[in-house]
Amino acid sequence: MKPAFSVIFFTVASGAGLGLMIWLLVASMMSAHIRMPQTTFITGAIVAGLLITAGLCSSTLHLANRKNAIYSLTRFKTSWLSREGVFALALYPAAALHIWLLSSGASIAMLKLTSIILIVLALLILFCTGMIYACLKTIPRWNTWHTPTKYVLFGLMSGAVLFIAVLSARPAEIGAMGRPWVAIFLLLAGLILYVAYLLNHPRKTYTVNDALGLKRGNVRLLDVGHAHGTFLTNEFGFQLARERARVLRWIAIVLGFVLPLILMFFNSMPPFAAAVSCIAGLLVERWLFFAEAEHVVRLYHGQQRV
Amino acid sequence: MKLGLAIDLDTCVGCHACAVACKQWNGESLMGGAPDYDPYGRAPSGAWYNRIRQYELEGDPSFSPHGCATTHQPLSKTINVPMSCMHCEEAHCVTVCPTGASYKRAEDGIVLVDPDRCMGCNYCAWACPYGARELDENKGVMKKCTLCVDRIYDQQLPKAERQPACVLACPTHARHFGDYDDPASNVSKLAAERGRQDMLGDLGYKPINAYLSMRKPVQVDAIPLRQGLSDKAKAFVNRLIQL
Repeated sequence: MKPAFSVIFFTVASGAGLGLMIWLLVASMMSAHIRMPQTTFITGAIVAGLLITAGLCSSTLHLANRKNAIYSLTRFKTSWLSREGVFALALYPAAALHIWLLSSGASIAMLKLTSIILIVLALLILFCTGMIYACLKTIPRWNTWHTPTKYVLFGLMSGAVLFIAVLSARPAEIGAMGRPWVAIFLLLAGLILYVAYLLNHPRKTYTVNDALGLKRGNVRLLDVGHAHGTFLTNEFGFQLARERARVLRWIAIVLGFVLPLILMFFNSMPPFAAAVSCIAGLLVERWLFFAEAEHVVRLYHGQQRV
Repeated sequence: MKLGLAIDLDTCVGCHACAVACKQWNGESLMGGAPDYDPYGRAPSGAWYNRIRQYELEGDPSFSPHGCATTHQPLSKTINVPMSCMHCEEAHCVTVCPTGASYKRAEDGIVLVDPDRCMGCNYCAWACPYGARELDENKGVMKKCTLCVDRIYDQQLPKAERQPACVLACPTHARHFGDYDDPASNVSKLAAERGRQDMLGDLGYKPINAYLSMRKPVQVDAIPLRQGLSDKAKAFVNRLIQL
């Protein structure tokens, strides 16, 4: 698949923003245990809001006909893309309600209710984003349980790392912090999921014989029928050199998981280093997610197996 | 009705006449046409509703009259495969569409795109295993084979011409058009008689278009050689000559 930067940025940025929002709300609900001054919460909320909104705006950049984008909310019953759009838009009135309740000094119970609604919505958006890719049977690498798991987990993970960065931005008000165990645990879980995925990723495979229904013998393409590239070769024909993929995988592992883990464990580093590294790593990981995915239509263009 | 095509893989000669006829008809049609980009330049490209690819099959002994094909003695067979929208029964391209621009008509099963609703997200093209959908970069909407819906119901045309442009253009009559719901229709009969190629059937899209399987040669039993005295003498003389 062609790795379109708008979609890569969208999934990483709004994933991290939604994760940050979830942890901010969890922390504000656990105010008896987590000391979080008002200014930190507001800073965090602004960062989360900016990330989510920038991501959603970026996701519309790859649309070829943006004026019809409003119709994309009309097929909630069948399309995961539609579901994601509906939940993403529902997030804004819910967040506005929460902020209004906060500023008007509503009861703790009401605030808890809106917090839970926001958390559920954020998790639903992450899951829907994963399912947009996972529901495509035509791309066997995506069509597994791994995809939605990854989107939800990596969103929570990058959000947790960002949350620690936001908390530690004002060390004087927070006071001494313990080890951020939630972020460390999520980073470890993310690392295990990603490495396990790289080592062994059970999926269906299709051959050129399946594509043409010629079950026996060797089939090879003689003539692809077009002189220059087509929409199909442009969209699905992206070739990634094996050596380059190997290097990028290591970059994703180190920047996305290992370095933030080390920085989180010895939390003496500048607060934003771990978050920047994690998001950079996830951008590389997401680029690979698209670049390595192989659509079955490649079988008709001469590839022997996807 | 389940309207669709039957494409004969035995008789298709890969001349691209169907693709050209398709381009001509749809380039001028009400549905907005299939655009060309840089048609006379260095990098000619464009959206086509029908593309023809050519494959070579080797080493399938069922296509050899004596079942003799091995890897050492490849039996090569060339197959031309024109591919357009299959108008699948389980059209996942329609299910994934967030705007409802992609739809499958209940009355005849034709899958169409409404250009007034399409937002050009390419998601339906991702969901199509057969590469039937291509983006019109000029208008920013998805384009695909319409089964010439603006021809087949046109009462102004003579009855024989109420068929998709590709079917009418095919010089070898490799393409047939009809209703698969009707067991007596020409396409149903052809598909039943010749069998369908199972193209990515595992995905469960249930394509309506049928690719009629290549006919197998009649298997001939080898007649055992009768080796009489005169045959042996001839063989001996032949060997002598070849010394």
